[in-house]
Amino acid sequence: MTTNQKQNSTQAQHDLLSKSHGQLSASFRDPSGFLFSRGGVLYRQINLRYEQEYTRLIESGLYDKLVKAGLLVQHAEAEEAPAESDLAYKIIQPERVPFISYPYEWSFGQLKDAALTTLSIQRRALKAGMSLKDASAYNIQFVRGKAMLIDTLSFEFYKEGQPWVAYRQFCQHFLAPLALMALKDIRLNQLLRVYIDGVPIDLASELLPSKTKFNFGLLTNIHLHASAQKKYAGTEVKSRPATTFGKQAMIGLIDGLDSAVRKLDWKPGGTEWGNYYDITNYSDAAFEHKKQLVGEWAGRIKPKLVWDLGANNGVFSRVAGEGGAYVISSDIDPAAVEQNYRQMKSEKNENLLPLLLDLTNPSPSIGWANEERDSFAGRGPADMALALALVHHLAISNNVPLPQVADFFAKIGKNLVIEFVPKSDSQVQKLLVSREDIFPNYTREGFESAFRRRFKICEAVNVRESERVLYLMERL
Amino acid sequence: MHFAPLPYLDPGSGSFLIQLLIATLLGLGVAIRASWGTISKWFGIKPKTKADDDDDESEAK
Repeated sequence: MTTNQKQNSTQAQHDLLSKSHGQLSASFRDPSGFLFSRGGVLYRQINLRYEQEYTRLIESGLYDKLVKAGLLVQHAEAEEAPAESDLAYKIIQPERVPFISYPYEWSFGQLKDAALTTLSIQRRALKAGMSLKDASAYNIQFVRGKAMLIDTLSFEFYKEGQPWVAYRQFCQHFLAPLALMALKDIRLNQLLRVYIDGVPIDLASELLPSKTKFNFGLLTNIHLHASAQKKYAGTEVKSRPATTFGKQAMIGLIDGLDSAVRKLDWKPGGTEWGNYYDITNYSDAAFEHKKQLVGEWAGRIKPKLVWDLGANNGVFSRVAGEGGAYVISSDIDPAAVEQNYRQMKSEKNENLLPLLLDLTNPSPSIGWANEERDSFAGRGPADMALALALVHHLAISNNVPLPQVADFFAKIGKNLVIEFVPKSDSQVQKLLVSREDIFPNYTREGFESAFRRRFKICEAVNVRESERVLYLMERL
Repeated sequence: MHFAPLPYLDPGSGSFLIQLLIATLLGLGVAIRASWGTISKWFGIKPKTKADDDDDESEAK
């Protein structure tokens, strides 16, 4: 074997080994440790090089404080054998996050809370002589209704005089997209789907309205930041003595970011169907009947995970979650998702996760090797999927043939509660008003035959005082 | 003095320098706030006792 062949072969063996160890494909960037899955349980290996930091995190009481404040996921130290024993210091078993979601799926309020959580952790860490070494939005997840840090290995020792190493990442992952959403256009959160390490500061600076130059937080952290990046690209930075960048300066920086984030606000207006239930065409009796059926069927199936697709502000998600299921309540409309999130917080609902999702183009797998961030469908299947008042948007607005709609739902849900909205319904008529009706198969019979290929139809109930039909189906 | 160990993420030179500037400016404010008690005493103002609330703060509610 040539040296090259040997190297390739060793690399191939290592790759294989990594896979057999169950190391998660998104967990490779930080040499302090990694996540791995064994027997369906998620563990985190802490490497020897991180021993001192981990010990400080625990012994300083910082870990307990953060867990108590609901800012960090808790973990237990496990007796499990390490995945890579040469490097291993300890194995911990973190609390399982019920559903992994990504910043491009969050509403404005969710991203803002994730930002404030990060800054709050940094403040507490500084008190314990530690500092966050990264500020990635992907390290924050929603657990029991709260934005929490899930990466226990994100802490390093704080050395006075040392600037915040995660500052740029914080601006890219949080401040820039929040400013763009609040002050330019709410849909610009989708830039996070393109730029996996956050919105480039120069792009944010270019897109933001010029009035933001009169906002101190945005002037300094975005506009001047962009200019400095351009001017000093590739320049070696000499460290500053502690007197210039003391702890007070660090606290000033964090407080400044906190205030810049808090000043940003976005109120959900009547976009798309933010006020859908006020303009809908069906009666209270029909609405109540739908709620009753969803509740009954969820009670029968007893799902652990429900995906409510096209959930609007989550009325039916809450009914489906009454038995304790964790419900992903997704919608395409940022206003509806924001309303849903605000309501979730005010009612302290721990089993609901509002998400922003365009079902005609759901989140793909992105990042390194297309494996870092999972696609939406890849995070399923759900025990029960809800598709209420949705099928006409997919089949008519988006021209997806009904058999393909059925194929997609069969991929993502073991059970399906789906509403058929006939052509005679005024909502469907609205969709057809300015276009040719090229949907001869969009009938109750056509719908049932398309779905029978993939599902057993368990129930079909005419919704009271409407022409709509609600189905309960089970995947074949 | 060096930044030891070097971070695993590249903080970016421009980003480092701009935060030095911002932090120095805002750090002054923090310093003034921290010594506000002493300053007010000079002017004969009785300082209010302020609890260290950071540990009890519940952000991102």
